[in-house]
Amino acid sequence: MTDNNNEKVLIKGNYAIAQAAVNAGCQCYFGYPITPQTEIGEYLSGKMQELGRGYVCAESELGAINMVMGAVSTGVKAMTSSSSPAVALMQEGLSYAASDELPVVLVNVMRTGPGLGYIYPAQGDYNQAVYGGGNGDYKIIVLAPSTVQECIDLTYRAFYLAQKYRNPVILLADGILGQMMEPASFGKYPYPEVDVSSWALTGAKGREARKIYSVATDEKKQIQHIYDLFKKFEIITQNETTYEEFNTEDADIILTSFGSMTRNIKAAMNVLRKKGIKAGCFRPVTLSPFPHKRVSELAGEGKDFIVVEMNMGQMFKDIKYAVNGQSKVSLVNRPVGEWLSVEEIVEAVENIVAKGLTVVNPGGVEYAASV
Amino acid sequence: MQQVFSIPESMKKDFRYTFCPGCDHGIAIRLVAEVIDELGIRENIISSTSVGCSVFLYDFLNIDCVEAPHGRALASATGVKRARPDKFVFTYSGDGDFASIGIAESLHSALRGENISAICINNTTYGMTGGQLGPTTMMGQITTTSPTGRNKEYFGYPIKIAEHIALCDGTAYSARVALDSVPHINQAKQAIKKAFQTQLDGKGFGFVEILSSCPTNWHMTPEQAHERVRNEMIKVFPLGEFKGGDK
Amino acid sequence: METNFIFAGFGGQGILLAGTVLANAFMIEGKDVTWYPCYGAEMRGGTVNCEVVVSDSEVSSVHKQDTDYAIVLNQQSFDRFVKRVKKGGTIVANSTLVAETRPRTDINYVFAPMTKIANDLGTSKVTNVVSLGVLASACPIVKKEFLEKGVEKVLGEKKKDLLPLNIKALNSACCEAV
Repeated sequence: MTDNNNEKVLIKGNYAIAQAAVNAGCQCYFGYPITPQTEIGEYLSGKMQELGRGYVCAESELGAINMVMGAVSTGVKAMTSSSSPAVALMQEGLSYAASDELPVVLVNVMRTGPGLGYIYPAQGDYNQAVYGGGNGDYKIIVLAPSTVQECIDLTYRAFYLAQKYRNPVILLADGILGQMMEPASFGKYPYPEVDVSSWALTGAKGREARKIYSVATDEKKQIQHIYDLFKKFEIITQNETTYEEFNTEDADIILTSFGSMTRNIKAAMNVLRKKGIKAGCFRPVTLSPFPHKRVSELAGEGKDFIVVEMNMGQMFKDIKYAVNGQSKVSLVNRPVGEWLSVEEIVEAVENIVAKGLTVVNPGGVEYAASV
Repeated sequence: MQQVFSIPESMKKDFRYTFCPGCDHGIAIRLVAEVIDELGIRENIISSTSVGCSVFLYDFLNIDCVEAPHGRALASATGVKRARPDKFVFTYSGDGDFASIGIAESLHSALRGENISAICINNTTYGMTGGQLGPTTMMGQITTTSPTGRNKEYFGYPIKIAEHIALCDGTAYSARVALDSVPHINQAKQAIKKAFQTQLDGKGFGFVEILSSCPTNWHMTPEQAHERVRNEMIKVFPLGEFKGGDK
Repeated sequence: METNFIFAGFGGQGILLAGTVLANAFMIEGKDVTWYPCYGAEMRGGTVNCEVVVSDSEVSSVHKQDTDYAIVLNQQSFDRFVKRVKKGGTIVANSTLVAETRPRTDINYVFAPMTKIANDLGTSKVTNVVSLGVLASACPIVKKEFLEKGVEKVLGEKKKDLLPLNIKALNSACCEAV
């Protein structure tokens, strides 16, 4: 496999993520198999051994996330990868890692749920990633790639942001991105190395011993700690919020999605424009921090939003919150199954425009979500 | 005048004793500190801590520590060691952490032969939460969740941790010791030292189970508690080296 | 313009690889292309398929219900995917294992004895490459020169010695196509 150059290669998203991690200087990988992301661990097993880096077939996802936490506490870059029901098992670790300010990188290649679900692609873990399943108040940085090229670019960014802000980062991909191939190039890891010497555990030689922990028997200290974490996230929100826009300037309605669905809404936008409907596209790259401010600005210009996603309206709620009644927000969704096709999206948008619907479930049961 | 007793170098100078009166954690932590001093490894240590009374290790020792959630100390320690194989990595857990909620992490660390050292305090109960039935609670033992005593119908049987760990091919050293008497305390220190030396020699997983008293939750005086260790616990959990000892 | 292809057959017939070669060929030609497999349980026995979508601009979606071209190497795949070919589209079938029937009148049929051609070349393992040759003769946007480069890329340095056989498989098929 090619690395560190600009040649385009036809590559699977899973392999792209794995090789990008290697290029980013990921020193350790810990993981447990689950479809549709198993290729990441398979690829890295050979590669990490070849490079003399750390690799463990963990006994469980609980083990895997905690191994990452142990490894990154020493200042190295490390990661794990998994898929939806198994990422649920890692929520305990993420809460600890956020509180302990450990630069954990976790890749979630989403499949269907709830429960075991099945191995098909899905987008049902938006809430799990953005709002978290762990206890207490904490925030995770969530990056959502939409192409294989972005699987590479955002894997690089995940490792950088994790260490820069000492905050866990989730790369939220899906089964389509994990399994599909597309031309992409690796280039070089584009970020500077972050100085971790002020906090990394290296043994208390010639300095005070360092303790990384979240146990807080002192109420005042715990209150301050949580405020500090949230202040840090305000800085992250200011500096790191990213999104993509297409044809929003003259748009009356803005199609919004995240991840690999973005390709479909862009194609639908082109069809709608030919049909005389002034459509634009908006796509958050960072789901957390979410670009609430930009959405609010666009809504303030009177532009309506139509959120297209493969879940029961999870990102929809963030858009609603950002729009805050300034314009109309509708939902085109399917909980799981075949990705909403360009044709389905176009038809749904036409129905929303013509009939004033707020929720359209193409090909599904009529479900007027209490939205 | 010759100084015959002092606080080990590896212990913090300003620690505040937070364990219950008569608790053996204080002895166990001191033994660990003495061994660290004697091996001269303090500045090279990264420890993954546990949850339970054993969590307070990091309030006593002047070493780098990273927290792990309940039961995950051995996974965390695996991560530390794989990231920094040159560092000395050890864990210090209770029986609930090591052998109940964390048994998968513990057992698999031993099976993988992780070159780390693990110490497990067995006091037959969950101390911090107020004395509930745990994985090592003995048959007939009364706890807050076995008010008429541990019976096999509801609760099954206790685990003999050191023997199980000894069965793992990746384990280089496994021993059970007790803290009920001076000779046993001396043996315990030697076992900890052997487990640590096992890691320094790169031989693989080193493990010591320490039978300890919990006077508060056993509703006993410290003396009675040590008698229970001596007269009851050791019968069920025999002392000795189950792997890697001198024979 | 956007065109999509579905390759389908038994596990072991090199279906995913055939799609990979085609996708590489399009990439080398400078087009936007995606490749997407059925994955998981379906791969373990039974039929396997993958989709290739190529576009002059940006691929609109990687997974579609209907297809411009279906390349089917066994009977089950013919029966399943003949229904999914777009009106005016083409099904390219391996007549060694597929009966020459024409259940629809609104699509084109190309039958070629792909397994037989491969066996005549010495190994049924190149059936998938033979199918690409047949496709090239039936689909103007699939160009043989880029398929050859695609095969070369997929084989890589490690399997370079197999290149002559595969090039032969690509070309011998073109002559046989009806």
